[in-house]
Amino acid sequence: MSQDSLKRVNKRMVSNKSTLRQNVNVPLFAAWAGLILYGAFTIWTASLTIADASFTRQLFGIALGSVLAFICWRSDFSGLASMTTVLLVIDLIVLFSPYFPGLSYRAKGMTGWIKIPLIGLTFQPIELAKLITIFYMASLGAQYNGRIDDVREYVKLCGMLLIPFGGALAAGDLGSGLVVFSSGAVIIMMSGPRKEWVLCTIALLIGFVSIMLAADSVLDGLLGHDVLLKEYQMNRLLVFINPDADTSGAGYNLKQSLIAVGSGGFFGKGIGNASQAGEGFLPEAHTDFVFALLSEEFGFLGAMLLLALYATLIISTIRVAHRSDSLFLQLVCCGIVGMWTFQLLEEVGMCIGLMPITGIPLPFISFGSSSMLMQCAAFGIVQSIWRSHGKTL
Amino acid sequence: MDAQLIVIIAGGLLVAAIIGSLVFLHGHNGRFTFDTKTGTRPRALEGEGNTTAVSSKGRFKLLTAGVGAVFAAIFAKLWSMQMVSSDYYDKLAEQNQTRTVTTPAPRGRILDRNGVAIVDNRPALAVVAYRDLAEDTVTVRHLANVLGMPYVAVLRKIQDNTEGAQSPHTIATDVRRSTVAYIQEHQEQFPGVSIAERTERAYPYGSLACHVVGYTGTVTQEQLKAQEELDEDQKAGTITYQSGDVVGQAGVEYYYESLLQGIRGEQTVKVNAGGNVTAQAGAVPAEPGSDIRLTIDIKIQQACEEGLRLGMETAQRVGDPGNAAACVCIDCTNGEILGMASAPAFEPSAFVGGISSDLWNELNKEDGDHPLINRVIAGSYPSASTIKPLSAMAGIEYGVYTADMTSNCAGWWTGLGEANGKWCWLHAGHGTRDLETGIRDSCDAVFYDLGKNFYYDKENPEGLQEMFRRFGLGSTTGVDLIGEAEGRVPDAAWKESYFKDWSSDERAWNAGDSTNIAIGQGDILVTPIQMALAYCGIAMNGVEWRPHLLLSAVSRDGEGDAYEFAPEKRLTAELKHKDALTVAQNGLHRMIYEESSSVARQFQSLPVQVAGKTGTGEKTGESLYGWFITYAPFEDPKYVIASIVEQGGFGSVCALPVVRTVLGAIYDCPSEIDFLDTTDQSR
Repeated sequence: MSQDSLKRVNKRMVSNKSTLRQNVNVPLFAAWAGLILYGAFTIWTASLTIADASFTRQLFGIALGSVLAFICWRSDFSGLASMTTVLLVIDLIVLFSPYFPGLSYRAKGMTGWIKIPLIGLTFQPIELAKLITIFYMASLGAQYNGRIDDVREYVKLCGMLLIPFGGALAAGDLGSGLVVFSSGAVIIMMSGPRKEWVLCTIALLIGFVSIMLAADSVLDGLLGHDVLLKEYQMNRLLVFINPDADTSGAGYNLKQSLIAVGSGGFFGKGIGNASQAGEGFLPEAHTDFVFALLSEEFGFLGAMLLLALYATLIISTIRVAHRSDSLFLQLVCCGIVGMWTFQLLEEVGMCIGLMPITGIPLPFISFGSSSMLMQCAAFGIVQSIWRSHGKTL
Repeated sequence: MDAQLIVIIAGGLLVAAIIGSLVFLHGHNGRFTFDTKTGTRPRALEGEGNTTAVSSKGRFKLLTAGVGAVFAAIFAKLWSMQMVSSDYYDKLAEQNQTRTVTTPAPRGRILDRNGVAIVDNRPALAVVAYRDLAEDTVTVRHLANVLGMPYVAVLRKIQDNTEGAQSPHTIATDVRRSTVAYIQEHQEQFPGVSIAERTERAYPYGSLACHVVGYTGTVTQEQLKAQEELDEDQKAGTITYQSGDVVGQAGVEYYYESLLQGIRGEQTVKVNAGGNVTAQAGAVPAEPGSDIRLTIDIKIQQACEEGLRLGMETAQRVGDPGNAAACVCIDCTNGEILGMASAPAFEPSAFVGGISSDLWNELNKEDGDHPLINRVIAGSYPSASTIKPLSAMAGIEYGVYTADMTSNCAGWWTGLGEANGKWCWLHAGHGTRDLETGIRDSCDAVFYDLGKNFYYDKENPEGLQEMFRRFGLGSTTGVDLIGEAEGRVPDAAWKESYFKDWSSDERAWNAGDSTNIAIGQGDILVTPIQMALAYCGIAMNGVEWRPHLLLSAVSRDGEGDAYEFAPEKRLTAELKHKDALTVAQNGLHRMIYEESSSVARQFQSLPVQVAGKTGTGEKTGESLYGWFITYAPFEDPKYVIASIVEQGGFGSVCALPVVRTVLGAIYDCPSEIDFLDTTDQSR
């Protein structure tokens, strides 16, 4: 037993006041609560001008999410560490559930939705799959005791990540696939491979993507139809490089988003004054481009507040991970950190032209209950890990 | 199909990953098992001095650094966008919501010299839409149905791109009230479609003076292109056209486009992403173009057209085709054109809002009468006998046939030998005639002799042509219209080059050519306005004023004239022998009153003395082309009237009604004798 752990045990024994702190990571909770409130407020402002943004539905999602967070908080997830196969199977089932007859739900061109029988609620299973993948990868990574000595083991671990990643791509969602990939990658990196391997992998990845992009246009030209990337995906990448290339088609969304964020200025335009979102120039203002909406209304200050809340949330999670005695739970926390960070980077990044456009939600903010539920669950899991630390002793 | 592809790719990736890892692991006896039975409990907690705690510390630092990098990147970008460049994005957001809608300015009206509107403006309702609408196929189809236009036509109007993406594109003008009401009542079915008020050309007198005023049309791609090619200096002060602008395409509408065209107004409106206007913001009103006053006098113009109608009718009644004619009335003291008519005419209103291609083809068909052509300036005809006063003046001026000389006309003229004998039009012969009586009776023999004398004259073999040119034949008059023909004064050099494929003998100028042009036949070609001008010169002792249609431009406030046309001399024909003019003038005067009693009767009722000349041109395979050119009053000339009826027979039959009707209108003294009674066939 380490000195550190002893101290903590002693400290816990000394003060009863710290019972709450022992069970709940307060900064993490505060950041979560702040984000939930901020998000609800943002969606409320959006609901003033955007018919699709139903504030009551969002509140319902938040309520359900909070319940789920509470349940997760009271649960112990350490048992999942030995259920790798089960997790993988469930993960794949969840990922492919939109293809199951009787579950599949399609409307208004949406794909990747299921309609849960009996209850009749619609749900995006990919959101759940993100969490299951984290557990799955953590259970794999935890088997190395924090150090991977054999390069073959490392490659195998990477290969194991490609299964859910491929599954997510197969479900037709590149953005969520990248979230799965990122959280898995963070877990692998935290499982203790050598730095050289990681660097090599990154270099290989960059090389592979470049070749694929180059090959894409060549193959498309040769075969006469889209082979690797869909044309709109390619266009998104191209306009990401030059937003002015096509302002009516693929570049339109990006340009409108940039205008929304930039014109927000320092203080923002205020509630209901956001012309970009309010007059319909900014598409998907309450979902994919919610950060642009928020930045337009609340400006740089509002964006900084959001970043501060996220920073608190993520740093607190890293601290929870750091304090955890279980490598598995540590890796789960790291996966969640990876997921949040990547979603933040992608969602905010695409709004401000840092990242290509994909359709993923901003955790706790974007309109939509599937994401809200699963993100709250992730928060509950982190709190549960905080609650459980030291108990394994 | 996209989703399927992704599935295939991902599936392939999946299989590759599984096979790859299995192959890689084959025979390897590593620690990895798919499931550990021991849960999360580390199996080698403190093995090899590399505990989880120790190694993970560094990793967590890295993780934190990575997260920090993401935040830093976002922060930096947000700072640059929202703090540094927010003004730039503000402007873009503003541009997004505002659209500058240009409002077309009404064109100036075209008035006659007394201020009566020949071309007026009337309000019209137009259906306009933004270019985005092109993507909304359903709405476009619906709109096409409602407007009763083909879908493709509507689409083309919407997609027309030079009008500027920000301005609404005109889809249809002169839309019926009921259609407008339907669109306005069902606005939700027509997003981005709106109704705009336009002004359209109106023609209260129908086709009156249609060749003078011309017509309007939307600016053509060629015109826009030409505009783009102008350099900055040339552009200064001119109007910049956008596609869809209505511009003059012919006549005065075209020639005085810069005066008539107004300046577009601009209106700024707030719009939402759907292109629907949400608010108004600021406007610069359109400035209408200047009204212009023409030299045309409606009364005389109407008489010109009525005269053409009568002339053609008369021709037709005696069995000639007489399907086209032209008439012009010029004030010879200043060049003002008081009336200018060409038949057949067209309805300029057919061009409002775009002429149908069927009608356009009908108006321009190869074997038709070409009603769009203004025959006064663009019709080239043999001058026939109307040129005789000029020939006579040439004879006197160059001394080859003086006023004292005479010829004996026996009907058959053999001045160039029996083999080259020619008929005078009066086969019975005129007897002895000098130049003055030769003009009066249009005696060809006199002018055959005159032409022959020129041919054999050593000093001035081309004195005839020189005199024709001195009075302005063979060159444009400079009237303020486009499409004026030059005519042709043939000479030796011209014949040499014109028939260059012929043998040198055949293309050499011969005596027959000279005798031909002396009576206005052969290769000579003139336009009615050229002949009118030449008669102005005769009447005004050699002075010709440049003919013009513009009298003044009315200032925009409607009070007074902003611009007045200053008359200028076109030419002054200098003559050494002043008696040449006297001979010509007297000959013309006597022609009216002495040559034929039926002609004289027509003019005797007028309060003024008239001078004039008939002419009857020959074109192979066609009926005769009848000319009549007069000026009045004889003592103090003011009005010159020239008219021609194509294939109308003798000038004294078909063209006389034209000039007599115009003179009747001028002096308020219409002819009381049926023109059919004037059947004396004098040339």
